[in-house]
Amino acid sequence: MIWVETIINGVLYGGLYGLLGVGLALIVGVMRVVNLSHGEFIVLSAFIGVSLIGVVPWLHPLALLLPVAAIAFVLGFGLQAVLINRVVTRPDPFAAILLTFGVAVVVRNLMVEVYGADPRHLQAGQLAQASAGIGGLHIGVLPLLILALSVALFTALQLLLTRTRFGRIVRATADHRDVVRLMGVNPGRVYNLVMGLSLALASVAGMLLAIRASFTPYSGVERLLIAFEVVVLGGLGTFWGAMLGGITLGVAELVGLRLDPNAGPLYAHLLFLVGVLLRPSGLFRVRA
Amino acid sequence: MTLLEVQALDAFYGDFQALFGVTLHVEAGETVALIGANGAGKTTFLKCLVGLIGSRRGEIRFGGEPIGGQPAERISRLGLSLVPEGRLLFPSLTVEENLLMGALNRRPGSWNLARVYELFPVLHERRRQWPDALSGGQQHMVAIGRALMSNPKLLLCDEISLGLAPLVIDQIYASLGRIRDEGASIVLVEQDVKRAAGAADRVYCLLKGRVTLHGSARGLGLEQLSRAYFGT
Ligand SMILES: Nc1ncnc2c1ncn2[C@@H]1O[C@H](COP(=O)(O)OP(=O)(O)O)[C@@H](O)[C@H]1O
Ligand SMILES: [Mg+2]
Repeated sequence: MIWVETIINGVLYGGLYGLLGVGLALIVGVMRVVNLSHGEFIVLSAFIGVSLIGVVPWLHPLALLLPVAAIAFVLGFGLQAVLINRVVTRPDPFAAILLTFGVAVVVRNLMVEVYGADPRHLQAGQLAQASAGIGGLHIGVLPLLILALSVALFTALQLLLTRTRFGRIVRATADHRDVVRLMGVNPGRVYNLVMGLSLALASVAGMLLAIRASFTPYSGVERLLIAFEVVVLGGLGTFWGAMLGGITLGVAELVGLRLDPNAGPLYAHLLFLVGVLLRPSGLFRVRA
Repeated sequence: MTLLEVQALDAFYGDFQALFGVTLHVEAGETVALIGANGAGKTTFLKCLVGLIGSRRGEIRFGGEPIGGQPAERISRLGLSLVPEGRLLFPSLTVEENLLMGALNRRPGSWNLARVYELFPVLHERRRQWPDALSGGQQHMVAIGRALMSNPKLLLCDEISLGLAPLVIDQIYASLGRIRDEGASIVLVEQDVKRAAGAADRVYCLLKGRVTLHGSARGLGLEQLSRAYFGT
C-alpha cells in the first residue's frame, strides 16, 4: 500500500517537475538556446513570493502565484529584450549560452546580497498537511492541486501554441527567423514574449517547490538540473514529453527516497542517465 | 509608372562583394526576368530588395519611396513580397497556417485564402497537412500562395521552377499569368533562360554580380542572351 502511495505521490509531484522543464523546453524549441539562468529565475520567483508575503502576510502563497508570474513575465521580457536578443542571432550558439550563464551568476549573487544565504520556505498552512483518503490511500491535497495546476498550464500552453495566431507566429519564428520578417514579424519581439512566458511558467513551479521544500539562493543549480533532465528525457522541445519526463523523474525520486532516505534526487538522476543511454532522443519523442 | 527603381546597388557578405552597381527598374504591371548562372548574385539581389541583407549600398526606391536602409519588417508592409529560393515553408505549420502567415501584413486587394485555393485547388484538399507531406510542385504553390496573401504590388519569385517536372513548371507559370492579371508586377529569377524570357516583358542578365545585358524579351536573341549568361 505504501508503494502505491509513493508512486501516486511521485506522479503528482512529477507534474511540478514537468512545469520546471517546460519553460526551458519552450526556449530551446523557439530560439535554440539553453537558458542556464532558468534555475536562478525559478528561485528568484520564490524569493519574490517571500517578499510579497512579507508585505501581505495574511494572503495564502497560492494567491500570489498570479502576481509572481506577472513579475516573472516582465523580468523574462526584459532579460530577452535587453540582453539575449543581442547575441541570439549570432551563428555561434555558445554566445547566447555563455550570456545566460553570466546572468545566472549575477542573479544568484544578487539574491545572496538581498536575501542572505539562509534556507527559506513558503508556508502553505494546513493545506500542506491536508490529505484525502481515497480507498484507504492517503493522497496529499497539495500534490493533487499541484498536478491539476500543472496539467491546466500545460493544456493552456498547448492551446496557445497550436490554436492561436500568436502560437502560429511563435512556431513560424522557430522554423525560419528570417522568413517571418518578410511577413512583418519582428523575431526579437516574439522572443521577448516567449521568454516572458517561459519564466512565468517557471515562476509557478518555483513557488510550488518553495511550499514543498526549503530553498536558498544556491538552489538554482539543482532546479536547472531537474529542468534540463525533464527536457532531455521528454525529447527536446516537446511539451507533453516534458510533462511525462517530469512525472518519470518525480516517481523515481520518491521511490528512491523510500528505498534510501538519504538518497535525495539521486535515483532521479540515475534514471535520467539510464534513459539517455537507452534512448538518446528522449523517452517520449513524438512529432513536434 | 515606375514601381521599382534600383540605382548602382552594391551588396556585401563581410569582405566579399556579391553585387557591383546593379541598376534595374520595373514598371507597374510588368514582368521582368532576372537570369544568371548559379552564384551570379540573383538571390542576393532579391534579398537586398526585401531588406534581408544589411550590408548594401546604392539606392532602392519602391513606389517612389526610398527603402534602401529600412529593415525587412517595414519593407514587407509596402507591398513587396518574396517567394524565397528553396520555398522556406514553415514545417511546423499546416499548409493553411503557412498561407495565413502571409496575411499578417495584408494590404487591401483581391487575394485571400479562398482566392489562393481557387488558384491552386490542390492546396485546399491538403490544407490541414504538413508541408513535408506535399510534392515539390505543391510546396512551390504554398510558397507562392503565402506571398500572395499580403496582396503585393510586386511579387519576387526566386527560382520557382527549380527541381520540378516540366508539366508542373507549366502549371506554375500559368498561375503567374493569373497573378499578373490581378494587377501585380513580377520579378522572375531563373536559371532557365528560355522559360524566363518567354514569360517576361523584359530581361536582365546577371554575371558575377554585374548586369551584362538588358532589353526587351522579344528583342534579345537567344544567342545574345546565352553569351551574356555565360560571359563568353
Ligand atoms: N550568406 C552568404 N555568405 C557569403 N557569401 C554568400 C552568401 N550567400 C551567397 N554568397 C555568395 O554570393 C554570391 C552570389 O550568390 P547568390 O546571390 O546566392 O547567387 P544566385 O542566386 O545567382 O545563385 C555567390 O558567390 C555566393 O557564394
Ligand atoms: Mg539563388
